[in-house]
Amino acid sequence: MTRYLLRRLIAMPLLMLGVATATFLLSHITKADPLAAIVSERQMNNPEIVAAAKARWGLDRSLPEQYAVYISNLVQGDLGVSFRTRRPVADDIGARLPATLELVVFAMIFGVTAGIGLGVAAAHWRDGWIDHGARLVALIGSSMPVFWTGLILLYVFSVVLGVFPGPGRIDARVAPPPGVTGFYTLDALIAGDMERLRLALAHLVLPAFVLGWAVMGIISRLVRGSMLDVMEQDYIRTARAKGAGEGRVLFAHALRNALIPTLTIIGHSFAYLITGAVLTETIFAWPGIGAYAVDSARSLDHPAIIGVTLVGAAAFLIANLVTDIAYALANPRIEIGRADG
Amino acid sequence: MLDTIPARRHSRRARPFALALVALIGLSPALAPRAQAAEATLVIARDMDITSLDPARAFCDTCQIVLSATYERLVDLGPDNRTIVPLLAESWEVNADQTVFTFKLDERARFADGGQVTSADVAWSLERLKHLKGNPSFLMDGVAAVETPDARTVVIRTTAPNSELLGILAAPYAAVVNRAVAEANGAKAGEGADAADQADGWFLANSAGSGPFTLAAYAPDDEVRLARNAGYWRDAAPVAQVVIKQVKDSVTQAQMLQSGAADIAMQIDADTAAGVTDPNVVIEPTASFNFVYVALGAGADGMPISMTRPVREAIGLALDYEGIIDLTVAGKGRRIAAPIPNGFPGTEGLPLPARDLDRAKALLAEAGIGGRVTLEAVYPSVNIYGVDFDILMQKVQQDLGDVGLDLALQPVTFPVWRERITATGIPVTAVYYAPDYFGSGQYVQFFGTQEGSPWYKRSHVAKAPDAVNPRIPDLLAAALAAPAEKVDEAFAAIAREMIADRIILPVVSPDLTLAYRKGVKGVRYSACCNLPLAEISVE
Amino acid sequence: MAEAVRIRPGLPGWLTPPVAVGLAVVAFWVAAALTADLWGLADPLRMVARRLQPPSGAHWLGTDALGRDVLSRTLHGARISLTIAAVVVAAAVSLGAALGAIAGFVGGWVDGLVMRLVDVTLAFPPVLLAMAVAATLGPGLENAVVALVAVWWPVYARLMRAQVLEVRTREHVEAAIACGAGPMRLLTRHILPLCWTPVLINATMDVGQVILLAAALSFIGLGATPPTPEWGAMISEGATQFYSWWIAFGPGFAILTVVLGFNFLGDGLRDFLDTRSAR
Repeated sequence: MTRYLLRRLIAMPLLMLGVATATFLLSHITKADPLAAIVSERQMNNPEIVAAAKARWGLDRSLPEQYAVYISNLVQGDLGVSFRTRRPVADDIGARLPATLELVVFAMIFGVTAGIGLGVAAAHWRDGWIDHGARLVALIGSSMPVFWTGLILLYVFSVVLGVFPGPGRIDARVAPPPGVTGFYTLDALIAGDMERLRLALAHLVLPAFVLGWAVMGIISRLVRGSMLDVMEQDYIRTARAKGAGEGRVLFAHALRNALIPTLTIIGHSFAYLITGAVLTETIFAWPGIGAYAVDSARSLDHPAIIGVTLVGAAAFLIANLVTDIAYALANPRIEIGRADG
Repeated sequence: MLDTIPARRHSRRARPFALALVALIGLSPALAPRAQAAEATLVIARDMDITSLDPARAFCDTCQIVLSATYERLVDLGPDNRTIVPLLAESWEVNADQTVFTFKLDERARFADGGQVTSADVAWSLERLKHLKGNPSFLMDGVAAVETPDARTVVIRTTAPNSELLGILAAPYAAVVNRAVAEANGAKAGEGADAADQADGWFLANSAGSGPFTLAAYAPDDEVRLARNAGYWRDAAPVAQVVIKQVKDSVTQAQMLQSGAADIAMQIDADTAAGVTDPNVVIEPTASFNFVYVALGAGADGMPISMTRPVREAIGLALDYEGIIDLTVAGKGRRIAAPIPNGFPGTEGLPLPARDLDRAKALLAEAGIGGRVTLEAVYPSVNIYGVDFDILMQKVQQDLGDVGLDLALQPVTFPVWRERITATGIPVTAVYYAPDYFGSGQYVQFFGTQEGSPWYKRSHVAKAPDAVNPRIPDLLAAALAAPAEKVDEAFAAIAREMIADRIILPVVSPDLTLAYRKGVKGVRYSACCNLPLAEISVE
Repeated sequence: MAEAVRIRPGLPGWLTPPVAVGLAVVAFWVAAALTADLWGLADPLRMVARRLQPPSGAHWLGTDALGRDVLSRTLHGARISLTIAAVVVAAAVSLGAALGAIAGFVGGWVDGLVMRLVDVTLAFPPVLLAMAVAATLGPGLENAVVALVAVWWPVYARLMRAQVLEVRTREHVEAAIACGAGPMRLLTRHILPLCWTPVLINATMDVGQVILLAAALSFIGLGATPPTPEWGAMISEGATQFYSWWIAFGPGFAILTVVLGFNFLGDGLRDFLDTRSAR
C-alpha cells in the first residue's frame, strides 16, 4: 500500500508534465493566430505592430525554444502571463478557483444529501412507486444536458416566477464581501454580513442544483444498492429479530454500511463536478475556471489554456488518488495497484 | 451602504442565523434581488472585450467608455457627433494647409492627483502612443512632431495635410496621461518603448488621468469599478460610482434591467428588446456607426471560379438586404452603401444596395459561371452588435444559393479566422467594424484595396488583379487636404470607388439599443467614446 | 440481492422493465432517424414560415430564428446524434481494445508505452480534453468525432488489457500454449473471445454520455456547423433567443429522452448482471 502510494505520488508530476506537453503541442499545432488577444483586427496585417507584439510576448522564438522557456518557468511555479487578461495566469486562476470550488461544494452538498435521502427511501420502499420514481429522477439527472437544464431553470425560476436571481455570484450593485477565502458565503459569514450571505446563497441555488443533480442520481443508486445488500445480511435480520425499530435498522445499521462505498464515489464525483462546471458556468455567467477555460480557448490564450488544463488535471488526479486511498482503507481486502500497469 | 456595516459586531450572531437561512432556501419568495437604494451607483451590464486599460495599448468598445471617463484628450467630440469641442485644450488654431495644429491648454486642468496638466504631459503621452507600437499607435501615423514651446502650448506638426487630426485627437486612446505617475510605474515613451515599457499591468489596476472618474478596481471577466474623481477640475460627475458588470448575453442584460440589478445596457438585441415590456425600462433604438459586412476574398486559395468584378457585383446583387436586416436584427437596422458608416463624411446620397436576382444571374452567365459552384465561407462565430453571425451567414447561404453559389459554412474562432484570412484568404466571409475615431479616413485606409492595405493583403490580389484599386491613395490624400466644405465630396468619390470594387459588401448597420431604467438621465451614444459616463445621472 | 423483476414469465431474463423502457425509447429515436424524411415535414434547412413563431398546428414545435420548422430539425437531428454516438463508440472500442489487447498480450515496453499514453490521456479532465482537441482541429462533425474518440479510447484500452491479463492465466489458454499455439492464434482464438462481454456492456452504457458530450461540444461552437440540425447547436441557437423557449425545447427534450433511454438500458443491464453475478 505504501509503495503503491509512493509510486502514484511520484507519477503525478510526470503526468502533469505529460499534460503540459500535450496541451502545449495541441495549442501550438492549431492553425490559428496566437496574437488574436494582443493585436487588433485592424493591425493584424501590419508587419511592424505584429513584429513588436511577437517580440514582446516571446512568440518570435522557435517552438522548441518556447517550450523550453515554458517548462523551465513552470518548474519554478510560474504559469506565465495571459495574452487576454495581461495578468499572471496564476493570479487569474487564483481569483477564479474559489468561485468554482464554492459552486462545486454546494453542488456536492446538495447531491450527497439528496442522493442519500433518495437512496434510503428507494431501498426502504423497494419496488414501490417511490423506488421507481427515485430511479427515474436519478437517471434523468445523468441524462439532462446541463446547458439546457440551466436555461429552463433560469427561464422558469428567474424570469417567469422571479423566485431566484439571474446569473452571476452576487448582485451587480453589491460589492463582493471582503475576500478572505474567496467563497462569498464564507466571507460574508466571517464579516457577519447577512445581506450578502443571503444574496450569495440565492445565487448559488440554481447552478448548484443543476450541477448536483447528476451526483444525486449516482449516489442515490449506490446507496440503494448497498443498503439492499446489507439488509439481506444476517446481522440486520438479527437486529430486526431483536426488535430494533425499522428506523434504527435503516439508519444505524444499513446506512452506515452503505456510506463506505458512497464516500469513495464522492471523490470521483468531485472530479466530475470540477469539469462539469465548465458548461454550468457558461450558462450562469459564473466567473470560475470553467468559463475561464472556454474564454481562453476561444482567444487561443496559450499560457491560460495550459495553466487551466494543468489545474484541472491536478484537481482530477488528486481527487482520484484520494478516492483510491479511501477505497483501499475501506476495503482492506482489495489489493490496489494490481491491474495498474 | 453595505460597506459601512462594521465587520466584527455581527459575527457571533451569524451562525444560527445562517443555518436558518440555509433552511429557508427554496421556500422564501423574497430571494430575488431587490433594487438596492445604494447612493448614486450606476450599474452598466455589458459584454466586455477589455484586454488592456493602458490608453496607448487598449483598443475596444468598452475601453472607449472606461478611458474616456478616466482620462481626457486635448479635444472632445460634441453631442452632435460631428463638432470638435474643447476639453484639455481651451482653444486651438490650424494653419491653412492643415499641417500645423497649435493647442492652448486650459489653465485649470488638473490630474486626479492634483498636479497640473502641462504640455509636457501631452507630448509625452502622444510620443508613447506612437512608440509603444500598440493597437492604437496608427492614430499617430503622419504626426511628424509634438512641440512644447511653453507649459500651456502644444504644437503638433504632420507630414501631410490632415483634415481629420482633430477627430483623431478626440479618440480616447489619445488620452493625456500623468507623466510623473506613469513613469514611476514603469511607463516609457521614447523610441524602443515597445520593449522597455512595463506599465501594462499597472494600468489594469490604476488610472493616471484628469477625467471625471478614476479606476477603482478591475477584475477581468467580472467587473470594472470607477469612482468619482473628487477633485475633478470641471463640474463633478453626478454619480459617485460606476460599475460595469460583465454580462455576456443580451437576454441577461435585459433581465438585469427589469429586475433593477442594472441601470443601463447597450447590447440588447432587437428580438430581446421586443420582449421587454417593463414600464420602468426605457428602450431607445438609435442609428449606430457600427456595421457588419460580407467580404469577398477575390484571390483566395481554393477559389473555384475567377472572381472578377462582374462576379463580385453579381454576389452583391444576389444578397437580400431587407431580408438580412429582418432576420438578423428584426428589422432594427439600416442598409449601408459603402464601408463608411452612415453619417460619416462622404456617405450622404450614396446609392444603397438592393437585390436584383435577374441581373445577378445574367452577370454570372456572362462570366461563364453555370451550374452549381461551392464556395468556402469561413467566418468568426460571434454575436456582436445584435447580429448573430451564424444566422447572418445562413441567410447569406440561402440568398447566394438562389443564383447557384453554394456556401460551405465554417464558423471558427477569431484566432483561426485571422490565420486563415492572412495565410490563404477566404472566398466569402463576414466581419464587423466600429469607428475608432470620428473621420472617414480610417475606413479608406482599412477597407480600400490600395497596395499594402489590410484588405489588399486579405484579398490575395496576386490571383485577382482587378481587385486592386490604384486610384485610392491620391484620392485619400486629396480628401485629407480638402478644406472643410469639400471634405464630404472628396470622401464620397472614394466611397463610390469602394462600392464599385465590391470587395467589401456592407449588409447592415444595426441600430444600437440604448436601454436604461426610468430615472437614468443623460444616456447618449457617442462616435468617439461610446457612452460618456460623466453626463449620466440617476434620480 | 433480490432477483430482478421479470415482466412476464417466458421472456428472457435480461428484459427487465427498465431495459424494456430503454429499448422502447431508443427504438423510437432510431425509427425517427431512419424515417425523418417520410413524415411529410418541412425541409429542415429552408425557411418555411415566419421566424420565431410559437408552436402551432402547422409547426408543432414552432419555428426558429430563420423560420425553419423546429420539429423537422429535431427529427433530422436524431440521425446526426445517433450516428455520432455509434461511430464514436465503435471507433473508441476498436482503437482502445486493440491497443489494450496488444499491451496486455505483448507486455514489456509496448505495454509500458501504451499504458503511459493511457495515463496521460486519463489525467485530462474529459470535457477539457474534448474541448482542446476539437479547438485544435476546428469545428465540424468529423473533428468532434475525433475529439470524442480521444476521450473514450483509454477507458477501453485499460479494460481490455485487464481482461487479457486475466484470461491469459486461465487453464485453457495455458493448455493451448502447451500445445504450441502461435501468438496470433492464441490471441484471436483463445483469449479475445472471452474478453468482449464487459467491454461491450461498458460501451452500451457510454452511448448516452457520448451523445451528451457531443451536444455539449456543438453547444459551445466546437461541433456541428450550421445549418446542420444538430441538437446541441440548436440549443445554442435557442439560448440566444431566450424568450422563444420552443427553439431549445425540441432538441433539449430529444437529448433528454434518448440519453435517458440509453441510461435505462445500461442501468437495467447492470442490475441484471449484478444479480446474476451475486448468485
